[in-house]
Amino acid sequence: MRNHPVAVLTRHFFTSLFDFGVLSEDGAESLKRLLLGGLAFAIAVGLLLARVFMTKYGMLAGAPPEVYLREVVADHAFLMALSMWVVAAAMALASQSLFPDEIDFRILMAQPLSRAEVFAAKLAALLLFAGLFVAGSQVALLPLGGLTLIGAARAGTLLPATIAFAGSSLAASAFAALGIVAIQGLLVLLASRSRLLIMSGAVRSLLIGGLVLALPFVAQLPATAGAFAAHAWWLAWTPPAWFAGLERWLLGDATRTSLALQAASAAAGAGAIATASYLTLYRRFDRMTFLSARALQGSGASTSLTAWCRGAPVRGAVRRFVALTLRRSVLHQGLAAGVLAAAGGLVLNSLLNADGWDRLDAAARGALAGTLLWAPMTLIFLAIPGIRLALSVPLDLRANWIFRMTEDIDGRAEVADAAGRTVLAWAVVLPIALVAPLQWRVLGWGSLTVLLVEAAIGWVLLEYLMTDWGRVPFTCSYIPGKGFVPQMCVKAFAAYVVFTVATGLLLRLSIRHPGIAAGAIVILGAAAVILRTRSLRRARQTNLMFEEQLPSDLSPLQLNAD
Amino acid sequence: MLQARGLTKRYGGQLALDRVSFELRPGEIVGYLGPNGSGKSTTVNLVVGLLEPTAGDVSLLGIRAADDPIAYKRLIGYVPEEPTLYAHLTAGEYLMLVGRLRRLPAGTLQKRVGALLRLLQLHDSRYRSMTTFSKGMRQRVLVASALLHDPRLLVLDEPFSGLDVNAGLLLRTLLQLMASEGRMIFFSTHRFDMVEKLCSRVIVLSAGRIVLERSVAAFARDGADSLEETFVRATGQPDFAPLARDILDTISGG
Repeated sequence: MRNHPVAVLTRHFFTSLFDFGVLSEDGAESLKRLLLGGLAFAIAVGLLLARVFMTKYGMLAGAPPEVYLREVVADHAFLMALSMWVVAAAMALASQSLFPDEIDFRILMAQPLSRAEVFAAKLAALLLFAGLFVAGSQVALLPLGGLTLIGAARAGTLLPATIAFAGSSLAASAFAALGIVAIQGLLVLLASRSRLLIMSGAVRSLLIGGLVLALPFVAQLPATAGAFAAHAWWLAWTPPAWFAGLERWLLGDATRTSLALQAASAAAGAGAIATASYLTLYRRFDRMTFLSARALQGSGASTSLTAWCRGAPVRGAVRRFVALTLRRSVLHQGLAAGVLAAAGGLVLNSLLNADGWDRLDAAARGALAGTLLWAPMTLIFLAIPGIRLALSVPLDLRANWIFRMTEDIDGRAEVADAAGRTVLAWAVVLPIALVAPLQWRVLGWGSLTVLLVEAAIGWVLLEYLMTDWGRVPFTCSYIPGKGFVPQMCVKAFAAYVVFTVATGLLLRLSIRHPGIAAGAIVILGAAAVILRTRSLRRARQTNLMFEEQLPSDLSPLQLNAD
Repeated sequence: MLQARGLTKRYGGQLALDRVSFELRPGEIVGYLGPNGSGKSTTVNLVVGLLEPTAGDVSLLGIRAADDPIAYKRLIGYVPEEPTLYAHLTAGEYLMLVGRLRRLPAGTLQKRVGALLRLLQLHDSRYRSMTTFSKGMRQRVLVASALLHDPRLLVLDEPFSGLDVNAGLLLRTLLQLMASEGRMIFFSTHRFDMVEKLCSRVIVLSAGRIVLERSVAAFARDGADSLEETFVRATGQPDFAPLARDILDTISGG
């Protein structure tokens, strides 16, 4: 049985779900260990959460039943959201392997295997993969789930309450998994063959970014007991609330019927789309997996070559190369989106927790200003090294030779300039632009001064952090943790605290005193210009860094040795 | 003229190339032959400036690679052995990248890229990323990228690998035409037939040393050994008949 072709193929598909389509064999193996380690970490976090919530439930022990129940509903929505998040993240990362693809078709259909066996193996691998993360997340949250059921145990309704909670929680996780399969299924069926890879990568990056950005909202759920009691309108737009509603409905609460219906229809809809996608692909596997020459001629990658001719030759070429790589490379796009989303999630969490959005009087504006001045500085501080890291991850070291063959002195400076401008756009301009509307709403005209000072601060930090950049993006390996990691973390945290406190103070002063703002802009601008001039001069004088393994660097096999 | 003098390359303690010297005059096509591991690719990488020699030097039209590597590399077009390029780009995008890195004027570059895509039959695939390209198509892109800046020296490492009959014939004719106009062509290959048809001179390398340098016309004289026979003798290749017999016995035996 173990050596039956379907079993062998299932093992192969299951393993390939862990390689995420972007890594080498060694990398996939490390990532597999990392993911399994992550599951163990999640269990530890689950225990820690239980410890934190223990205090809350200790205080609720003497509360009236309706207050207790309100808190339980919100906490169950939180637990379901965590479990959904873990499952959705795992499925999104593996989204390129959720359906049999062209390579599977070309390789496996040439073997003595039926189409049904290939699809059965793929489905089995998918179920195992999703099941692993569903089970892992449920186990991780078991202690906290048990804690929330103490009230039901006291009331003598432990069994139905446990069944309703477990059933709803499993349904929520299944919905998360099916939702990702359905999205990928729609892509496979609807996207043209030539665009599928690019679109699939873009959707994956969006999903990962969205999931990271959703974390602050997930963290807010335990504090939404009042909203559940008041049947707040936004619950209808919050998937974990649907399944918390389903749980209540299963326990006989008729006021949650609409949420329960939403949960059931969402899960059924995702399941139906996923099943239909699989069935359609099964029936038309040969037609759908082969590249249609017509589709390839009509639509595909960028059509315009004029874009390459803008600006200085090398700078323009490298910027375009970076833009196309970020658009088409799943790994680099995912890294950039992940970094930006992580920084955005941190800021979003603070913005959600800030008090005063609903009234915006003078006191509220003062309180919100602190968060709004801190937010872009935090985004910039995290995004600059993050995007720099994304540009440092190599693309194809063997293809570097073309940059080595065409390197020249002015070109080195143009390369540094191109990298700097890319980081400036993504890690300085974008964060400032994202927070600017909120700043405008709270600070009014003062936000314009803030905007200029923020831009000057961001520019200086960028020039400082890019000083030693001496490479074409994506051509050198980045080895994280070259230094002593705990020491690096302490230094980075200290730098972050000093940076955000100092810039926060400067921004506050700039709002009150335009003279200080003008002085700061001039001084910071001058500092940025000096740093830039020095770094471009240095770039001209230093050879570009490359890391590659030329075929001739390898030891020959000596097949012809005497 | 390309002049390689006493080129030596060591990787750690291992000697890959041992005092290799040769010249290549304008209008000449030189074939560089040798068994695997003989140092052909190392020589090519030294000639194009991707590696620095442990000893010796190489110069092109009076410019020493060690003195001014940037000016030196500007004169060279290179087609590597493996079709290593940034496959997430389309052929046109890759050629634009190379052309801009070589600082060709935008108008000239766009015209050349469009023309080369058409002439090398890549125009129909211009919107596809090269991840979907066959080896032969990638090889054509590399040939186009090596020609973009009209180099004085063209260095090709197994240029006919993966090319179909038509593309192979086109490349052969193109190389002959380029040489007739005074450009230098240096190509490393395993194919004796191509050397005999295309080259004016052949250099044979074995274990990092030049073991034979001769005009190709000499092999065509009456009574002379063929290039293949000369190569086998010069590089000390074993008799392959017993080896072939062993392989056949292995697969047909029980």
